[in-house]
Amino acid sequence: MLESDVNILEIKNLRKEFGSRKPIVAVDDITLSLERGKTVGIVGESGSGKSTLGRAMLRLIEPTSGQITFNNHDLLAVKPKELRQLRSKMQMIFQDPMASLDPRMSVRELIREPLDIHNLGRREERNAAVEAIIDKVGIAQSALEKFPHEFSGGQRQRISIARAVINVPELIVADEPVSALDVSIQAQILNLLKELRKEMKLSFIFISHDLSVVKYFCDDVAVMYLGNIVEYAPTETIFKSPQHPYTQALISAIPEIDKSTRKSRIILSGDVPNPAEAPSGCHFHPRCPIAVSSCAIDTPTLKRSAPNHLVSCNLVDPRS
Amino acid sequence: MTTFRRILRRKSALLSLIFITIITTAAIIAPLISPFSPNEQFKDGLSLQGAPIAPGGNYLFGTDLLGRDLLSRLIYGARTSLTVGIIANGVAVIVGTTVGIIAGYSKGRVGALMMRFTDLMMAFPALLLAITLAAIFSPSLLIVALVIAMVNWVQIARVVYSQAVSISEREFVTATRGLGATNSRVLTRHILPHLLPTVLVYATLGIATTVLLEATLSFLGIGVRPPTPSWGNIIFENQTYFITAPWLVFIPGTLIILLALSFNLLGDALRDELDPTQRGLS
Amino acid sequence: MIGYLSRRIAQSLLILLGVSFITFLLLYILPADPAVQIAGRSATPETVANIRSQLGLDQPLFIQYFHYMTNLLQGDLGRSYLQKSEVSSLILSRLGPTLTLMLTAIAIELLIGLTLGILAAMNRGKVVDKVLMVLSFISVSAPQFIASILILYIFAVKLGWFPIGGYGTPAHLVLPALTLGLLGSGWYSRVMRSSMLDVLRQDYIRTARAKGAPMLRIIRVHAFKNAIIPIIAMIGLDIGIFMSGIVVVESVFGWPGIGQLAWQAIQRVDIPIIMGVTLVSAIAIVLGNLIADLIAPFVDPRIRVN
Repeated sequence: MLESDVNILEIKNLRKEFGSRKPIVAVDDITLSLERGKTVGIVGESGSGKSTLGRAMLRLIEPTSGQITFNNHDLLAVKPKELRQLRSKMQMIFQDPMASLDPRMSVRELIREPLDIHNLGRREERNAAVEAIIDKVGIAQSALEKFPHEFSGGQRQRISIARAVINVPELIVADEPVSALDVSIQAQILNLLKELRKEMKLSFIFISHDLSVVKYFCDDVAVMYLGNIVEYAPTETIFKSPQHPYTQALISAIPEIDKSTRKSRIILSGDVPNPAEAPSGCHFHPRCPIAVSSCAIDTPTLKRSAPNHLVSCNLVDPRS
Repeated sequence: MTTFRRILRRKSALLSLIFITIITTAAIIAPLISPFSPNEQFKDGLSLQGAPIAPGGNYLFGTDLLGRDLLSRLIYGARTSLTVGIIANGVAVIVGTTVGIIAGYSKGRVGALMMRFTDLMMAFPALLLAITLAAIFSPSLLIVALVIAMVNWVQIARVVYSQAVSISEREFVTATRGLGATNSRVLTRHILPHLLPTVLVYATLGIATTVLLEATLSFLGIGVRPPTPSWGNIIFENQTYFITAPWLVFIPGTLIILLALSFNLLGDALRDELDPTQRGLS
Repeated sequence: MIGYLSRRIAQSLLILLGVSFITFLLLYILPADPAVQIAGRSATPETVANIRSQLGLDQPLFIQYFHYMTNLLQGDLGRSYLQKSEVSSLILSRLGPTLTLMLTAIAIELLIGLTLGILAAMNRGKVVDKVLMVLSFISVSAPQFIASILILYIFAVKLGWFPIGGYGTPAHLVLPALTLGLLGSGWYSRVMRSSMLDVLRQDYIRTARAKGAPMLRIIRVHAFKNAIIPIIAMIGLDIGIFMSGIVVVESVFGWPGIGQLAWQAIQRVDIPIIMGVTLVSAIAIVLGNLIADLIAPFVDPRIRVN
C-alpha cells in the first residue's frame, strides 16, 4: 500500500452520458481534487449534473470515461471484490432519507448493515457499535427496533448518517443532505455533520443548491452549470469576489438581512436549459448578462485567474 | 399478519380457505377417513349388468366402472391432485421468481433477453405444450408435475420481472450497493422481501391453474394414469358411463371446480389486500 | 407509425423463428425413436436403419434443423406415424371447422363478456354486480372438459334441444361455441368491468353527465370506445387460450377440427401430428397478437402519436 497522498480523491476528465442515440451529457469532462480532511462544496441548480457527478465519483453509476482515484486506488480498474471493500471507506449520504432506507428493515438492522456486509466483528460487537453510534447522532436507544416510516425527516437523516459513519469512512459524498428538511432541522443536521467531520477527520464532498448552506459547511466551492464546473475557489473568495457571471447571479440572489451589504440582484433571463439541448459554445451564453456574440462559438475552459481561483469564462482573463 | 385478518373478513376468502383446509386435511389423513381402499374392486360394486352402482347404501358416492368405491377414490384423488398441483406450482414459482428477479435486477441486455425468451414461451398454448411434453416423456406423477411447471413458470416470471425492475430502481438499492453489498445480498435481502407479497398472490392463483391443468391432462389420458386416482382421471375412466351414471362425472367435476374456485378467490383477495393497483383484474 | 408497425412485424418473425426452433428441438429430443415407430414392431434392424437415414435422423443437429426449416417453409410438417398421410394436409382439412368454431366462440364471449362487464360496472356494489362477479370467477375456475360434458348432458342428452355432438348443421355449432364462449366471457367481463370503472371515473365523463346526457348514451358514445382499449390487447392472448381449449371441446362434442385431430393423435402417441398442431397454434397466437397490436393504434389514439 502506497503512502497516502495529499489528495484523498482525484477525478480526471470524468464524463457521464445518458442514452445512446443522442446522448445527454450530464457530466462534461470534470477534473477535481479533494485534499484529505477538506470539504469541497458542489453548487448548482437542477440539471447542472451535480448529483450525477456525486454518484459517478463513487462509481455508483458507471462513468462513460475518465479517471477516478481514491486513496491511490484506480476505482475504474479495481476488481469488483476490491471495489466493494473500498466502499466502506467512501460513503454517500442521500437527499431523501425515506427513499434511501429499506422500509422493511429495522433501524438496528439498517445501521448494522455496513458491518454485516463486511463481516466485521461478532454479532454482539456489531450491536454494541450500533448502540454507540446512535448515541452520537442523537437518536434514542428505543428507536432501534422501530422502522423508518415511524420517524421524522430529520431523524431519518440521522439514521442515514449513522449508517454512513459507523464504519469510520474517510470520504463522505453528501448529496443535498439537508434539502428535504425543515430549515430549523437543517441547522441541527449540519452541526452534527460538522462534529462528526471534526471527530473522524472526514473529507467531504458536499452537494447542494443552497449557497448559504455551502458557505456554512465547505472550505472550497465548485459551481456547476450544465455539466461543467464554471468556477472553483475557496468559500470566502467565491462569496466576496465571484468572477463568473453565473456565480455572481447566484450570490446576488442570497437573501441578506443587512441592508448595507445587500447587493442589487442580478436576474438571469430564461430558464435553465434542458441538458439534452445544451447551447453551443459557452453553455451559459443565452442567459449571460455580459455575453458577446463570440460566446456562442468559443467553448471556455477552466483557467487560473488567481492563485486559488479557477474560472471558466471567455471574458475573464487569466491572471487579471 | 393483520392483512391476514382483513382477508378473512371477506366471506368469499373465508369460505375458500375453509374448503381448501377441508380438502387438504382429507388428503393428508386419507388412510384414516377413507371407507375403503381406493383400488379394491368389490363384487357387489357392480350391478348384475356390470354397471356402476348409484350413490347410497354401502357406497356413499356410488361405485365406478370397475366396482371401486367412488368416495375412497375421491379422497385419495384429492391427495394426487393436490400433490401434483402443489409440486408443479412450487417448481413454477421458484423457477419463475428466480428468472424474473435476476432479469429485473440485471437490467439492460440480460434482462431484456430473458424476457424475450418468456415471450417465446408464451407463444405456445399451454395445454398443447403440456400435451406435447407429456407425450414425449413417459408418464409418472413427477413428470406430470414438471410438465405443468414448465408451462406455468412464465407468467410468474413476467410479473416478478416488472416488479423487480421497479424495486431495483429505488434509492435504497443504490444505497445498499453503495455500502459495498454484493449483488446476491441485495437480491436476497432487499429485493426479494419486497417481492414476496406478489409471489404469494401468484403462487395461490397458480395452484388453481395447476390443479385445472392436471385435471385436464388426466382427462385426456396423459396425466396421472389409472389406477392411481386423480379427480381428472376418474372422469376420464368413467366418461362412457356419464349418461347412465352421471355422478361419476359430476361429483369429481364439482370438486375440481370448487377447489380451483377457492384458490382463485383466495388469491384474488390476497391481491386486493397486497397490491391495490391490480384490483379487479384476473 | 411505420416504424412501430415494422418493428412489431420483425418481432413476430423472430418469435416465429424461435417457436419453430423449439418445436424442432422437442422433436429432436424424443426418447422414442421415430424410425422404429414408423417401421413397426416387426421390422428388421436394417429396415429401421434404412428409414432412419431416409428421414435424415442420423445427421447432425444443424443439418436436421436446416431440413426441418426448408420443409416448414414449404408447408411440409412431416408425416403422421400411423396414418401415412401428411400432417399438413390433415391439419388443413380440419382448419375450417376450427376457425368456424373459434370465430363464433369469440363473438359469443365478447358479446356476453362485454355486456355483463358493462352491466356490472354500472351497478357497482349492488347485488347484480356481486352475482356477476361470482359467475365470472366460476367461469374462470371451471375446466373446459367439465363444462363441455355438463352442457352436453343438460342440453343435448336430457333436454334434447341439440344434437349430441357432431358436425354439419348450425345446430351442431351451438353447444360447442356456447361452451367456449361462456367460459371465456368470465375473463372479459372482469376486465371490461374494471376498465369501464376506470373510464367512468374520468373527468370527461363527469362533464357529459353534468350536461345532462343519459347514462346509456354516455356509455355508447364515450365510455365504450375508451374502455375497450385494453380488451383489444387481450384478444391476442385469448387466441392462445382458445388453442388449448379446442382440444377438449372438439373431442367432447365430436367437432372435426384440429383440436380433435390432436386428441386422436394423443391417444395414439402420434408425435408429428401433435407437434404440427402445436406449431400451427403457436403461429396463430403470434399472428393474433400481431393483429391486435396492429389494430391498437387505430383504436387508441395515444399509441398513434407515439
